[in-house]
Amino acid sequence: MTAFRRLSHGGRIDRARPVSATYDGKPLAGFAGDTLASALLANNKIVVGRSFKYHRPRGVFSAGVEEPNALFTLGEGARSEPNIPATTTDLVGGLVVRSQNAWPSPDFDLMAVNSVLSPLLQSGFYYKTFMGPTKGAWMFYERFIRRAAGLGKATSTADPDRYEHRHEFCDVLVVGSGPAGLAAALTAARSGARVSLVEQDSNFGGSLLSSSDAYDEAWRQQAIAELQSRPNARLRTRTIAQGLYDGNLAVCVERREHLSPDPAKGEARQVLVHVTYKSLVLATGAIERPLVFSNNDRPGVMLASAVGTYLNRYAVAPHKRAVIVTNNDSAYRTAFDAAASGIAVTIADLRSRPPAQLIARAVDLGVAVFPGTGVADIEGSKALSRVKLSGAHAAAIECDVLGMSGGWSPTVHLSSHGGIKPKYEEMIAAFVPGGFATSHFAAGAMMGSFGQVAAITEGATAGASAAAHAGFAKAKLVLPSDAMTGETIGVPPALTPMTGGKGKAFVDFQSDVITKDIKNAKEEGYLSVEHLKRYTTLGMGTDQGKTSNINALAMMAEHRGISIPEAGTTTFRPPYAPLAMGAIAGRSIGAHFRPRRLSPLHDWNAANGCTFIEAGPWMRAWYYAWAGNTPETAYVKEMELVRRGVGIADVSTLGKIDVQGSDAAEFINRLYVNGFKKLPIGKARYGVMLNDDGVVLDDGTTTRLADDHFYMTTTTAMAGEVMSWMEFLLQCHWTNLDVQLCSLTDEWGGMAVSGPKSRQALQLAFPHSDLSNENLPYMGCLDIMHDGVKVRVLRLSFSGELAYEVHVSADYCIALWEHILESAAPLGIKPYGLEALASLRIEKGHVAGLELDHRNTLDDLGLGKMASKDKPYIGKELRLRENLQAENRWSLVGLELMDPDKKLRGGSILFAATDEIKGHGRGYITSVTWSVELNKFIALGLFEGGLRHAGEEIIAAFPLKNEQVRLKLVSPHFIDREGARLHA
Amino acid sequence: MLERRSALVTAHPYRSPVLKIEEAPGFSLLQLAGSETALAKSAGTLPDRVGVAAFHKGRTIFRIGPAQFWAVGPEGDDLARKLEGKCAVTSLTSSRTRILLDGPPARDVLAKGIAIDWHESVFKPGCFALTGVHHMPLAFHCTGASSFHLYAMRTFAMSIYELLTDAALEFAHA
Repeated sequence: MTAFRRLSHGGRIDRARPVSATYDGKPLAGFAGDTLASALLANNKIVVGRSFKYHRPRGVFSAGVEEPNALFTLGEGARSEPNIPATTTDLVGGLVVRSQNAWPSPDFDLMAVNSVLSPLLQSGFYYKTFMGPTKGAWMFYERFIRRAAGLGKATSTADPDRYEHRHEFCDVLVVGSGPAGLAAALTAARSGARVSLVEQDSNFGGSLLSSSDAYDEAWRQQAIAELQSRPNARLRTRTIAQGLYDGNLAVCVERREHLSPDPAKGEARQVLVHVTYKSLVLATGAIERPLVFSNNDRPGVMLASAVGTYLNRYAVAPHKRAVIVTNNDSAYRTAFDAAASGIAVTIADLRSRPPAQLIARAVDLGVAVFPGTGVADIEGSKALSRVKLSGAHAAAIECDVLGMSGGWSPTVHLSSHGGIKPKYEEMIAAFVPGGFATSHFAAGAMMGSFGQVAAITEGATAGASAAAHAGFAKAKLVLPSDAMTGETIGVPPALTPMTGGKGKAFVDFQSDVITKDIKNAKEEGYLSVEHLKRYTTLGMGTDQGKTSNINALAMMAEHRGISIPEAGTTTFRPPYAPLAMGAIAGRSIGAHFRPRRLSPLHDWNAANGCTFIEAGPWMRAWYYAWAGNTPETAYVKEMELVRRGVGIADVSTLGKIDVQGSDAAEFINRLYVNGFKKLPIGKARYGVMLNDDGVVLDDGTTTRLADDHFYMTTTTAMAGEVMSWMEFLLQCHWTNLDVQLCSLTDEWGGMAVSGPKSRQALQLAFPHSDLSNENLPYMGCLDIMHDGVKVRVLRLSFSGELAYEVHVSADYCIALWEHILESAAPLGIKPYGLEALASLRIEKGHVAGLELDHRNTLDDLGLGKMASKDKPYIGKELRLRENLQAENRWSLVGLELMDPDKKLRGGSILFAATDEIKGHGRGYITSVTWSVELNKFIALGLFEGGLRHAGEEIIAAFPLKNEQVRLKLVSPHFIDREGARLHA
Repeated sequence: MLERRSALVTAHPYRSPVLKIEEAPGFSLLQLAGSETALAKSAGTLPDRVGVAAFHKGRTIFRIGPAQFWAVGPEGDDLARKLEGKCAVTSLTSSRTRILLDGPPARDVLAKGIAIDWHESVFKPGCFALTGVHHMPLAFHCTGASSFHLYAMRTFAMSIYELLTDAALEFAHA
């Protein structure tokens, strides 16, 4: 029966530093240097989990990132994290470990009844059971099925830990620190290149860490010492290269959990590192494959290399006897190490003639070798008790562990991320990289070259080539130790499953995919490897099929009677291994989820009862407390203030562009549909510009400050786009124009002073300036000096009232705002916010972002008459396309609610009175407000045929709330159509 | 005169024994644009590429676009008056908040958010970069071995300051 024990000596653990964790509430002892998996085995915890679907008992299977079985939930409360492999988790003091997918415990799991029901649960079960007439049953059964299957549960509370990003640059990035990676990094570093070495393990050395050979260890230590002594080398452990991307970018994630980071001190739990390299060496090694036979998932059956790793690295050994079953040479190393540790070892070699030198060495160590022998079945329910051999030496052997080796799969994931498919290599029955980008190099087992001598030799060459590619002279190559011997995998390993047993033979351990599932998939027509994956869930889960892909592919190929390469290859995508979502988000969380842009008046607004609303990146003043505590009530009061007195609003967010140069007038004239060439100095004009497709791009005002100097404003939303568009035109199309641009959006703040008393208000604020209608008429501009600061007063109106925009350098905005408020206090001036600002313009019929949605033409918006017939401008020809001139286009209309007891909602779909209320209708409402002038809800909208239907009654439907209201279609200009107020 | 107010008045001060992150006011910033030949005659030596700054008579000149430059001078600099009529001059003093990062961990802090090679052999004193942090534009001038001036758009200054001081949190406890 499976049992493990800690040896009294050996391994890389620090026996002077005991560590205590808790496992399902009970103490779990180990040493510094242990992983959770090695500590579990050392404590003889054999059944550590239950399988995904059948709830079969499972034990530790591997010693690395490929682990499919030994997954745990680590941490408590908000720090609880599910599905973490024990094999990659450092055993640290205080670690809280909980088993998952088993109740009440992995040893005694009531859900193991699933195993009895397994004939019902094979691949395709859900599709077949819950499609067609029984489809509705899914809704009922879903929660039970989800509870019964699956792995650990994620916490729903916010992650309290800190995650960071970091950008790094190097000449040569080396991924993997096995013999190939160390040789590559050291050779490249010797050339003077800035080298970055990333290693997913907690220590450098890769396969060398599991070696019992003193020469291997000496070489490893010497290489690391030299690397660490070089200032141009940066070495990182616990760092997984998760993906490679265009532009020589690798994304790596560094884990720092073992340091118990304190987020309050700015210590990150994980750091996502964007590494930009000039050249790359992949030395990612290989992952051992399991063999497929009856009950091959029993606790105690594990990868042969893992048996060796637990023995040599962690000093955890099977109690008395081990059986090794292999189809290649590599597992002999484990067998010999185990024998040297006093464990009785039997080797079942599927090959009829294992290499003679291995047989000879086995004889020396007392290891029995049975050539031409495989495994028929495993006896034991919760753990392995006996291995039933088949073939030439059919016998049953009692043992503690069965180490299996079905060959090695090079870790080609990263080499495939750039879109280069791996290719099949017959000699090792595995996929190797199908090619590389010019800056990429590779070495060692990931290239299918096994053994330390090959790894070091290839690694050194790859390191030298990578350094040369990065512009460094070739350096002295790192050499293998003379004592190291070459090792190959031997003859090509066979991939055919072994027969003889009646139990389930697992292909994918984590997803509970058995040989029968592969056969079913083939019989039901899921032939391609991609369909096979989706039908059976093979290769899914946290391990992404690292141990199962090749075996499954080989089986499908055999069922179909084709070769493995013909059956297809798996597509590898980032990330290579699971990572915390927090690592992806980094510090882009909370208030910094996205950039936050603040008006120069923000601090005043924040201190004076303003409620803000996000508008793109801007935090805009929405409404003020003086007017009410909800936007619904406040904006109406603020509107009344502007219609009847005077209000002041923050309009600093408007785009502002300085346009200078001898061709500035010509440039602006080409940009807007209306004429600007003859705009007098000191006057502003409203302008509309089209994109080159003839659709409205943006509107705004432009003021002429001098013959060759203009001050342009854009909408808030389009400020950046218009600036870029103008720069593009000057830099690419009209390079001969003498025009210089400069964004002033951040330089100047702005405030709208609006209402019938606005002139009085400003005159009180600027008593030394003549702001009379004669000196500053509608659309006039006046630059004045106030208290030593230049102030630009523009007589513009968005609200439809007599109004001004006062612009000033951003640094002086608050002082000027306060000055105006104080000076005009006798007139009752108060601030108003975005909600009122945007509602006042609806009453006036001014279009804004909701109407300027890049789908509407000038004519759709009722602005066609503005367009000049005498001059060319951008979009002129294409705006006249037949379809853009069609009479039935959705065009701007005003809408008045006819049902006074009902509410009007933005986004409502418009229908003619006789239409069936169904589908997309004939238009929609863009903007809605309560009109303080008309005392009813009004709206702007787009309606098929537009104002040709003026006076008609139409229907607005809001299906989300099942509402319908009657509307009267009217002119969009609800107030002051003659413009008397503007010119007052 | 009207009171001038910085974008970082309400910012939480950053305190660390090894690193300074604070506003560095007291400068004037002009955008100069037009013929490079004419500009060179008036403003002095111009940097020949974007990545480095030029120094001339107490002013630092950065190349920020095709025939576009920034001139950073002392507060109240009269350069604009001198250049009147010779090129397009636009004052941008209010538009940028200058932030000082000074201290040995400065490069580590910058590497947390900005995809530039901050290695001292690459981004040396005198280097200048137009780049961005967390989708916000930002310009950097390396003024010493571990000293940087950051020119942040005024409206994003608070967001950027908070990101920087957050990134430097680990050094606040050094």
